[in-house]
Amino acid sequence: MAFNRPPLAGDAMATTPTVRSSSFSRNISTSAASSASSPTPGSRIGSGGAAFVSSGIPDLDRILGGGFLLGSLVMVMEDAEAPHHLLLLRNFMAQGVVHCQPLLFASPAEEPRAFLGTLPAPVAASKEERQRAPGPGHDEQDQGLRIAWQYKKYFGEQQFSDAHNKDSKQEFGNNFDLRKSIERHMLSAQNVDCISIQKFSNLAPLRERCSSFLSKLPGNGAGLAGRIAIQSLCAPQCGFSDWDMVSFVRSLRAMLRYSKTVAIITFPSFILPPSFSKRWQHLADTLLSVRAIPDEDKDLAKLLTGYQDMVGLLHVHKVAQISSQVPVILEASTFSLKLQRRRSLVLERLNQAPVEGSSGTSYGTAGPCSGSLKGSSIDF
Amino acid sequence: MAESICRSLRDGSIEGEHSPALTIKDSLQSHAGTHAFNYFLCSLAANVCAGKSQARGLVLVAFSQSPSFYLSLLKRKRMDASLLTKCLRILDCYSDPLGWKEKIRQSSGPDKPVFTESDYVCRDVKDITKLLSSILELGKGFSEGRAYFAVAIDSVSSMLKHASLPSIAGFISNLRSHAQVSSMLWLLHADLHEPRSTAVLEYMSSIVASVEPMVEITDGQKGSDNLFWLGRGLQKGRFHVRFKRRNGRVKLFNEEFHIEHTGITFSTPSSENIVVSQTLLPKQLQFNLQLSEKERADRSRVLLPFEHQGNGEPIQIYDGRRSLTESNTGLNGLQQHALSIEMEAQRMQSKGEIHYIRDSDDEQPDSDEDPDDDLDI
Repeated sequence: MAFNRPPLAGDAMATTPTVRSSSFSRNISTSAASSASSPTPGSRIGSGGAAFVSSGIPDLDRILGGGFLLGSLVMVMEDAEAPHHLLLLRNFMAQGVVHCQPLLFASPAEEPRAFLGTLPAPVAASKEERQRAPGPGHDEQDQGLRIAWQYKKYFGEQQFSDAHNKDSKQEFGNNFDLRKSIERHMLSAQNVDCISIQKFSNLAPLRERCSSFLSKLPGNGAGLAGRIAIQSLCAPQCGFSDWDMVSFVRSLRAMLRYSKTVAIITFPSFILPPSFSKRWQHLADTLLSVRAIPDEDKDLAKLLTGYQDMVGLLHVHKVAQISSQVPVILEASTFSLKLQRRRSLVLERLNQAPVEGSSGTSYGTAGPCSGSLKGSSIDF
Repeated sequence: MAESICRSLRDGSIEGEHSPALTIKDSLQSHAGTHAFNYFLCSLAANVCAGKSQARGLVLVAFSQSPSFYLSLLKRKRMDASLLTKCLRILDCYSDPLGWKEKIRQSSGPDKPVFTESDYVCRDVKDITKLLSSILELGKGFSEGRAYFAVAIDSVSSMLKHASLPSIAGFISNLRSHAQVSSMLWLLHADLHEPRSTAVLEYMSSIVASVEPMVEITDGQKGSDNLFWLGRGLQKGRFHVRFKRRNGRVKLFNEEFHIEHTGITFSTPSSENIVVSQTLLPKQLQFNLQLSEKERADRSRVLLPFEHQGNGEPIQIYDGRRSLTESNTGLNGLQQHALSIEMEAQRMQSKGEIHYIRDSDDEQPDSDEDPDDDLDI
């Protein structure tokens, strides 16, 4: 059983910042566990030895339980009416550029390089970052909870250093400022490959480019993780056959499994026939979808808090579960996309607005049996 | 609301973005789509001729009506004919779309009289790339060659008869992303195509306007009822617009339209029957259980019972009531209330006083001492 005694003053264990939640501990080498920087910058080891890279949106990393799993395929279902999938793509690619990870980008546009000009610049860590602290995480159990405990005065204070966790978080994922675009020198120093898929008659050239990109990456262990981003794979102007596209996605998924790469594919699912749309959704390891919201909708404004700042909705259908039997169970699967101060992308849970006092019963007035209940059908 | 569509077509595209594109969608139940198309075409042409729009010229690709029809339509709207010839070019895909008349003319010999047709005739509508290049050529033919021009396609449904969906999707996306195209509009008859084609064209447009009947007709009514509604469908109906805004939200409009002999008129709807798509939101919506920054700061200021120990300061427990600092006896609210009642009772009784001293009066409130500490067992 787990024996969790609080460290006494002068105990050597009080100096280590990690809190053991059970008596079992993984036999990780000390350099990886306690150093502030992981051996592969930009990726993080999570539970079960799984490696994550950041999606570029810290809230999304938190929702998905660490980020995008290396070796998984992320698919985003586009909405007919709003280009929010581009926000996800931009943050993903910008994160790769910031961490100097090799990036392959394919899109049906004539000039995919033009899209690179719209990538956002990372926000420098400032006071605002520290104020917007993340909620109490699972591995920092007692930190957010102040316990008034009678015998606490007999033990020394447990110092949990927050700074350590913050720094490693900053290295893993950045916040991006969507109003500023990324600096040119970062893009040119980077090996960013762009392909336009509009002229292809079938997907064989794209498959070859992907496999050569993956083979060029350095092998296991040291080396950077790679990122592949494909925008609007089944766009209507590329006349690929349905089965051709499905077999491409399957082969890409197989190639990804044995490499340290994450691929993100956005596709407008309403263009595909329904059976093929279902096939695509099943092929994804992590499946997200973006939805547009109506503008100036009074009913929605009354129903939700923060409706004015929302630009769209993000729905998480499936979360990758490659090397573990434990599924990721989400508290909520629909989130609102907001632009905080028009700069950075923030995902929030949908919250219902408080019900107005006149429509509900009010218990705040003194005397429950007096006639202060308005509109109530119960009369005492 | 229809004016806002006219305005966005007139204002045109912003540098570096796709140009606004309007899809007018109608169906058999309410087939006033051509009237709506003519309305927006005339308003755009008027703006172009008057110089109010970003576009300096208008290219009209005519599939379902002859060019002379459009010229007479625009003249009926009191537009100057000379200005029209400067600002309007019509690509005639109506007279001879597949080149049959040309073949007949060639085979029957050169002695037949030749019709004078308009200058720009397209004889092969199946070749989408050629169609695209002729439209761009016409567009460049306007003044300076670098100016913006607008494109109107009479009906994309006719195009879809001759060419495949991917080629037309590529054609439209090339036009929209072309630097000189200011705005576009086209007409689509939704029930002539599979839902996939309609979905693709709606995906590629920024404004979707659908012409709908006043009352939705269920499929159960067949036969003579359908013909009855057919006649009615032309006179008035609902005009439903979905505007895709730049911030990613969709603005919805609803209007009524009436067909008169002068054309179509739009008016505000008489009855509001707007359906909010509740399917967007999850069924269980939570209340906000997170703390804001101010609330978090307030919570951190609360002094919990044992935290102050060993500080050397007098014990002051914050129990949420401001009256603590104000009260001079240091009792909590209930005890204070009880005491005041007792004092009042004392005043009312002239003789016979009751002094009640509670045991716990000696102690400070919420003392940290364990009351069992005194026990000697």
